[in-house]
Amino acid sequence: MLATRAFDPEFLQHLDALALGTKRARTVRAGRRSVGRVLGSGIEPENFREYSAGDDLRFLDWNAFARLDDLTVRTYRAERQIELTIIIDTSASMGVPQSDDKLGLAAVLGAALAYIGMGENDSVRLAAFSGGRRGPRLQTTRFYQRRESFFAFRPFVTGLKCEGDTRLSAAVAEFLRAPHHAGIVILLSDFLVSPMDSENALAQLVAARHEVKAIHVMGDRECAASYPPGAYRVRDCETGELREVTFGAHESELCRRRVEQHAERLSSFCARHGIVYSRAFGVSNLDAIISREFPRLGVIA
Amino acid sequence: MSLVALVAIYLRSRARPTINVSSLMLFEEVPAPVAKSRILRVDLLFWLEALALAAMTLAAAGFYLLGPQPVGRHQLHALVFDLGAGMEAVDGRISRLDEARRRARALVSSAPAGDAFSIIGYALEARTLFAPSASRNELFAALDKLQPMAVAARPAALRAALLDAREAATIDIFADRKPAKEVVREARPDGRVAVHQVGQAADNVAIASLDPGVPRSSPGHCVLRNFSNRPVECELEIDNNGRQVMRAPLIIEPRAQAIVTFRPLAEGGLLRARIITADALAADNERYALAPAIAQARVLVLSPDADSRDDLARIVLAINPNFVVTALDPVLYPSSSAAGQRFALAVLHDCSDAGVNASARMFIFPEPRLPGSKRPPLVPVSGSVAVAELESRQDSGPLSTPALLGPARIVSLPGWMDSLARGAPIGAHDSLPLAAAGRNREGEVGVLTFDIRNHLLLDPDRLDALVLTVDTLKRMVAAQNVKVVATGSFVAVSTFGAATLTAPDGSTIALQQDQWGRVRFRPLNVGRYLISGGQHEVAVYANYYDAAESDLAPSPSAPELERPVQFAAPVRSENYPEPAGVLLIAVATLLLLAESALIAQRAIRWGVRYV
Repeated sequence: MLATRAFDPEFLQHLDALALGTKRARTVRAGRRSVGRVLGSGIEPENFREYSAGDDLRFLDWNAFARLDDLTVRTYRAERQIELTIIIDTSASMGVPQSDDKLGLAAVLGAALAYIGMGENDSVRLAAFSGGRRGPRLQTTRFYQRRESFFAFRPFVTGLKCEGDTRLSAAVAEFLRAPHHAGIVILLSDFLVSPMDSENALAQLVAARHEVKAIHVMGDRECAASYPPGAYRVRDCETGELREVTFGAHESELCRRRVEQHAERLSSFCARHGIVYSRAFGVSNLDAIISREFPRLGVIA
Repeated sequence: MSLVALVAIYLRSRARPTINVSSLMLFEEVPAPVAKSRILRVDLLFWLEALALAAMTLAAAGFYLLGPQPVGRHQLHALVFDLGAGMEAVDGRISRLDEARRRARALVSSAPAGDAFSIIGYALEARTLFAPSASRNELFAALDKLQPMAVAARPAALRAALLDAREAATIDIFADRKPAKEVVREARPDGRVAVHQVGQAADNVAIASLDPGVPRSSPGHCVLRNFSNRPVECELEIDNNGRQVMRAPLIIEPRAQAIVTFRPLAEGGLLRARIITADALAADNERYALAPAIAQARVLVLSPDADSRDDLARIVLAINPNFVVTALDPVLYPSSSAAGQRFALAVLHDCSDAGVNASARMFIFPEPRLPGSKRPPLVPVSGSVAVAELESRQDSGPLSTPALLGPARIVSLPGWMDSLARGAPIGAHDSLPLAAAGRNREGEVGVLTFDIRNHLLLDPDRLDALVLTVDTLKRMVAAQNVKVVATGSFVAVSTFGAATLTAPDGSTIALQQDQWGRVRFRPLNVGRYLISGGQHEVAVYANYYDAAESDLAPSPSAPELERPVQFAAPVRSENYPEPAGVLLIAVATLLLLAESALIAQRAIRWGVRYV
């Protein structure tokens, strides 16, 4: 399975030199401390400012108070502390066509991004969502920071299975329901849902102040609509809906055009909302994706 | 259906191939094809499969083929016995059941040797006592084991017995009274039912009721009834806890009843009346009753309403004048001197039992659980109705006229409580319990869900409410180790463990407790049943009296239902269906083998992929 390649030492060696660039480098003011991990070794003093009601008294500069009789608090600049969440779509559509191994592609890309993120000691976790009978099913790993812990993701990545329907916005809503801090969210999906649903999902992430990156995963055969000419009955793997079609060169071209339209619409929505959009079309293009599309995602060498 | 399914499978497999795609939205612009699916083209494999499937389906459906009838086929006969109390009546030297047995033996002996017989008994309900068998020895042994029960035979039970016997070629009913013609004809309109009425007219005197009165206060009464058409002389003996109260010879007029009054009893406890002189039916010659105890007992009456307290105190004293009644307002109870005392009975009207120490508790118009109260109520209240009607009682059935009551609580009875009376809100059909009683580990608990304010219990137009209250209160203060019940009724005794039941004839059986610690049984004979379980014993005395069943005067025979006993001789030339399952399965196997051979041939020639 392609997903196991993500843990191949040779593959990881190529990623060692890469780093995840980000617009965010969260500065946490001491008086507004909201996460425990901010304090500790390596925190650099940033500035002083006047004490105001509600500030944490532990950050009051008592020496300055003794000398100047002024209440002053110290503020710190924390080390970069970014929560990177990589969400992988594991709905049934990610497993079809089987020969395309879209889920494997998404998993290896997600794991690679996690590995790169952990190079900067960012808090990284993986998440996967699929549709269930009682609503979206969202599975997440815990946060890991150091590359030594990267292999802790292996059971999660290799255990991913395609099932259920794609409920993108519901899954994102479920993700946002849990307590979280604004960070980077990378969403890997085929986005084969109604445009309204995918746009709603991305808009929710943006509204939650996340830096959002969308990776559009499609299969080689799916993009090319390369089916032998003839009459077929096509069945939607998620809804079970059937449709009779006759395939030929013209019909394949129509399908390719439809994929292109779908990707264009998603891309333009992302552009309007400050979301980084990247295409990952086909397993055969994995190396090209890493070299060409990763810089678009903010991965720098 | 299976053939249709096969055709559908073929059609589907020959139809255009189905491709799973990630989403139909990618194919939105692809136009639908003009050509339709191909028509099914059947081949040899299809026909082989279809024939094999048809054979297996017919085999599974139990297909039969008509064939020549085997010689010596025999018939099934049902012997239906009335096992009511009347069958125990002795005519001369043998009982009616013995007479029925004798006739049945003669009938069985005259039947062809291979004919099978079954025995079905009925009284309260019908039971097959002997499954169809041609063995005469086993049949006669089963006939000998038939025992009458001290209950009245019910027409519904006869209907059920006839229903059980519907497969029989002939049905012979042995009963001491004529069954209704409609019942017989409903069961077998073809006239293959014979009624064998057994028994002659016999004199019988029964004890119809026994009232112990109130010890040391009011006299008791015993009612005897003569069912014969001539004056009958009998001797009545009454004893109280084994000590004789009275013994008197009586002459009772034809088809009349005599009321015998005896002096107030010296003490409470078990009262037994029995007719010493022998008559045709012994089951109704003995009757038991429980006299209330005379020992002083403390009774607590709590009610926020002064009139209700007064009414309840009067009723409690009327039940037993030896009770020492303390009537209090529930608000004053905790601070009163009664708060630390233990009572034999606490009657709690519209108040909780918090802080009450009593062996038995009787809740009247129970109080809903108040917010903040820690202890869950024994009888949870879920609502109230403005006006309720008493419609039926457990022991006596529906009332002729529903009794109008006042407000009532809607309670959820715990499983260990038995409903004693039911009713409904006025103008509604929802049945709700109005009285219930039971026993848990803390003692006896009773509940009357209706309110008794405004002297409801003393209202002569609502006498049923008073009677129900008195009966329930009596049940609360009755001795826990002695019960008097009617035969045929279900008896529940709280033993909180497995128990052993010793019947009047000395036989013992083990009883298992239910989830509330009760054992249940159904006395079917008159006399003393002893339940031993845990650390105590409970004696249950069963009474029998049924005016119709005890009347042993002859009922006219039913000649129209009698038929001469005739058993059909086996017919030799008759088509008889034989099961064809084995043959069909063999055919199906052959067809499947042929199909497998064809498939193997194709696989060898073209490769497995193209099969």
